[in-house]
Amino acid sequence: MVLQNYVMLEPGIPTKLHFTDHQIEARTITDPVTGQPALRKVLVLDVDRLNDRPVVARYSTMAEKHAQQFSPYLTDKSYRNFDFTITVQGEGFRRSWTVQVTPRQG
Amino acid sequence: MARKSQQVETRMVAEYLAQEYSKFTFITKVPLGKIDEALLATEGYQRALGLTRPFRPEVDAVVVLPQYLVLVEAKVWSVVNGLAKLPMYKSLVPFTPELQQYLPRDIIMELVVGWTNSNLEIMARDAGVRLRVYCPDWLNQVVQGMHKYWTKEYRDQRQQKIALREYFGIE
Repeated sequence: MVLQNYVMLEPGIPTKLHFTDHQIEARTITDPVTGQPALRKVLVLDVDRLNDRPVVARYSTMAEKHAQQFSPYLTDKSYRNFDFTITVQGEGFRRSWTVQVTPRQG
Repeated sequence: MARKSQQVETRMVAEYLAQEYSKFTFITKVPLGKIDEALLATEGYQRALGLTRPFRPEVDAVVVLPQYLVLVEAKVWSVVNGLAKLPMYKSLVPFTPELQQYLPRDIIMELVVGWTNSNLEIMARDAGVRLRVYCPDWLNQVVQGMHKYWTKEYRDQRQQKIALREYFGIE
């Protein structure tokens, strides 16, 4: 059994990530409001650096608001040219992601 | 039930920044303003930031240029609101702990809109706000829809689309 290594963000703590690839996956989740199973699209990004240290991990979000912060970089995978420092705050509908985008050197 | 709304401004800001400022560092959804000193003393820096986050104003993006900070607010619908917010946001920048590392820098205010008109341009000029129009095809459809929103034809067409989405179970 392979346990997938997912990056979990801690509220209020900026986390610097570098992505190498991405997929959009369909997952069945239990809707927290209705309690019913629901099909959701999830943006999954492969992470090779976490806070400047090498890792093999994945970062995922099913929040459209957050996924759209990556949308300009998905088609051509140009996220490879940037570092993303993400700070999450709040819960539920008030959840907010501050994303700092920094061009990579060299 | 099929959704009736869509996230527009987040995508608009992300694309605009990637297009215009990809050579520079930028930060999206930046809280502005000071943190209460008493709260900082009792709760500590990180926790105080978290506790005050929902009550602090938030600018869509800050771009860090060598000599300037650009405050970017994007609006599709309430364009005048976006314009009015920017000078208020500018006043808070010197007090924002998250931006201290980038100060001192001069501040440029930039309003990004999907459409403009001469009144908006007059107001922006007077307020010292740089006006930018960003309207790719997908956003143009939203803007056109907005302008036709109250017509019977558009309401009928929209209702039909929602009914179809519900029928096919599309989000």
